[in-house]
Amino acid sequence: MKAVLDSSRKYGAAKRKNNFLYYIKRDGLLYFLLLLPMAYILIFKYAPIYGLVMAFQDYNIFEGIRGSEWVGLDVFRFIFEQDSFYRALKNTLVLNVLDLIAGFPAPILLAILLNEVRQAKLKKMTQTVLYLPHFLSWVIIGGMVYLMFSNGGMINNFLSSFGLEKIEFLSRKTPWLITYIAVGVWQNIGWGTIIYLAAITGINRELYEASDIDGCSRLRKMWHITLPGIKSTINILLILQIGRMVSIGFDRPFVMGNSLVSDYSDVISTFVYRVGISSGDFSQATAVGLFQSVVGLILLLSANFVAKKLGEDGIW
Amino acid sequence: MYKGIKKKAAILFSTVLLAVGVAGCGGAGNNNGETVSKGSNASEAGSGSPVTLTVEVFDRGIQGQPDLNNNTWTKYVNEKFGKPNNAIVKFVPVPRSQEVDKLNVLMAANEAPDISFTYDGNTVTRFAKSGGLYTLDELLEKHGQQLKSYLGEKVLSYGKYEGKQISIPGKRTLIAWNGMFIRKDWLDKLGMPVPTNRDELYNTLVAFRDKNPGNVDGVIPWATAASGMNYTFGNLIPSFWGPMSEEEFVTTTNWLKPGTKDAYKWLNKLYNEKLISPDFALDKTTKQADADVTNGKVGFYAANWDYPLSQKIREPLKQNAPDANYVAVDTFKNDEGKYLKEMYNENGIFSFIPKSSKNAELAIKYLNWMADPEVMYFLQFGEEGVNHKLVNGIPQGIAQTGENMQTSNLNMDYTLIVNGAELGDTEKNVRTYAAALAAGDQSYEKLAVDSYKINTTDGYTGFYYGVSNEASIKYGKTLGDMNKQMSDRLVVAKPAEFDALYDKLVTEYMDAGGQAVQDENIKNYRDVKAQSK
Repeated sequence: MKAVLDSSRKYGAAKRKNNFLYYIKRDGLLYFLLLLPMAYILIFKYAPIYGLVMAFQDYNIFEGIRGSEWVGLDVFRFIFEQDSFYRALKNTLVLNVLDLIAGFPAPILLAILLNEVRQAKLKKMTQTVLYLPHFLSWVIIGGMVYLMFSNGGMINNFLSSFGLEKIEFLSRKTPWLITYIAVGVWQNIGWGTIIYLAAITGINRELYEASDIDGCSRLRKMWHITLPGIKSTINILLILQIGRMVSIGFDRPFVMGNSLVSDYSDVISTFVYRVGISSGDFSQATAVGLFQSVVGLILLLSANFVAKKLGEDGIW
Repeated sequence: MYKGIKKKAAILFSTVLLAVGVAGCGGAGNNNGETVSKGSNASEAGSGSPVTLTVEVFDRGIQGQPDLNNNTWTKYVNEKFGKPNNAIVKFVPVPRSQEVDKLNVLMAANEAPDISFTYDGNTVTRFAKSGGLYTLDELLEKHGQQLKSYLGEKVLSYGKYEGKQISIPGKRTLIAWNGMFIRKDWLDKLGMPVPTNRDELYNTLVAFRDKNPGNVDGVIPWATAASGMNYTFGNLIPSFWGPMSEEEFVTTTNWLKPGTKDAYKWLNKLYNEKLISPDFALDKTTKQADADVTNGKVGFYAANWDYPLSQKIREPLKQNAPDANYVAVDTFKNDEGKYLKEMYNENGIFSFIPKSSKNAELAIKYLNWMADPEVMYFLQFGEEGVNHKLVNGIPQGIAQTGENMQTSNLNMDYTLIVNGAELGDTEKNVRTYAAALAAGDQSYEKLAVDSYKINTTDGYTGFYYGVSNEASIKYGKTLGDMNKQMSDRLVVAKPAEFDALYDKLVTEYMDAGGQAVQDENIKNYRDVKAQSK
């Protein structure tokens, strides 16, 4: 009650203080702006949840959800009996963990380095060049990777012209894994810096000035001011990343994978594509998707829990 | 108090949003309803605003191809069939390499074209089993007499499921499947004969590698691409097979047939001796293999029996390596001295009408119209003087660009009820086919005739059970994908790891449904045999 009185006094429109129209009137434009994103979330994120019931049906594409037969957990049973599902799950986790280890610290490091670039023009240019790969489609990157790393590709031609042994980057498992991770880091490193750079801008300048007076070296400043300054940002991004551990984009493993490395490149998203779209078994695809979301949620909640226990800010 | 207001606001907003959403959906729904009712009215009345009949067409992504829905052929269809039937025939392009994927999505969304098709029989049966297709017996009886007599009982029987006609199979007039081709000019340069068995081929490939008779940069003795499209290993694998009973031959999965393992071991040896394209497994679209062949770097390759005739190979090859002379070759002899190879059954693509279609009657009328010899002739060969010239009664193609161009051999993507030329006897059909494709180039005509002859020698066709295999419907696509992966991995494997890998992969394959498919095949085979006794 007090809060309401306070706020209405503050804005000086005390007459219709309890009417909700009052808020519309006051912040109408803001609410209006909210409509579009809310519509997006409702239509594209909430409405499709209805489709999850397919996971518990023997879904018939012609009868639709209402006409299909309910089969309880049969679909899940069938999936959990398949070796290829476990392989896909394992690969998804392996690729994501490696991505996290290699890909998560990289933008932080780069952002700190960029922050140290004094010349504004050079900094802007470097940033732009580093962002660019983010806007390339994986299909194009896949083509570039093939041209560079295949057995007849640029790098191997270069190696063999010096009489060195060719490296089968794309057709043997471990080299493929390294190529896959490295290309991912290359694509995302620039884009990932944006948030960190923004966070760095928010650090109080006076801290740096004070440390200058105290005679801090650059490295000291990075370690004691910049990094702690963006710690909460790092935290939140890390928690979100962990929540995404079980889900993996489709394009990257699909485009970069090939039959020779399918023991590594077959992941959940390509599995879903294969059983759902290629074989037309929508029930199985939905069930795998549901499984993926549930595990993702559990991971997210536990990461958040751990972060809070360690005295950091969680995401809520 | 404050909280209450907030809550109310939230509720109101979400209701407004929901209303907007529902209105949006409703709007779309109404629109659909309108067009549908329009359509059905028109087809009943035969006048008024025209009906739109949608027909699938493959998009093969050929360089310089015309708009697939607006070219000489679609104009002819609309003029000759559309106008008299008060219909607009609209072609819906589907990427060739993902036809089943795209079809699954279209079917699930009830947006599949009135006439849809696929080469994958399992997919058709799966749709039929879920009740998603029209049964065509009555429609065919009523509106498809011309079509029925053209295709005949035998061809139509491939389109039946549980005794009902669920699809219209095209008639395949030329039944050769794979072919193998070797650079005759290279052989001549080396003074070597055309190989007639595996060992001779091996020696030839080694000579290609070591002596590089074409003097090209990066010679590829044997070119291939990732399994699954165009490029194959010819009939190499059947040539390794040992003796089997007929039942075994028909029902056993190829991976378990005696000899298959040795066949892959042989390929593995060749790959590790750098006789096969080094990056073939990465070449998922066959672009690399095509480029190697047409740049004159390749000594030997196996692909569809008519692959060298296709425009995308023939023309660039002529430009880049005018001396290249590929001849058809038969080189995989088995222990009995036979050149065993699989041929096609007499059926081509399966056309079907999804339940969501409002124009089933018109669709059958369309296919029936196509069986008219005059119509089929135009769609396959075009107009005399423009698209072909007649030499001794055989239409010879004239190279075309732009809207006259055919994006598939003899327009088979538009002429769904036929695959290959049909002018009486087989020899004439082959020559006509070659003449049409190779624009009257004599050497190609000879290549085609030779290739066809070779690739129908000692041929066998897949056993037709006449009943569907449930396991195959369920696991078919997965097993098909596994087949491709296994094949590639075995060829590229390190020789020391080959045996273990083969056994491991085959076990996985059998566990993933291979066993179930095989068991059902055996059961069906015995049923069929028991009935025929």
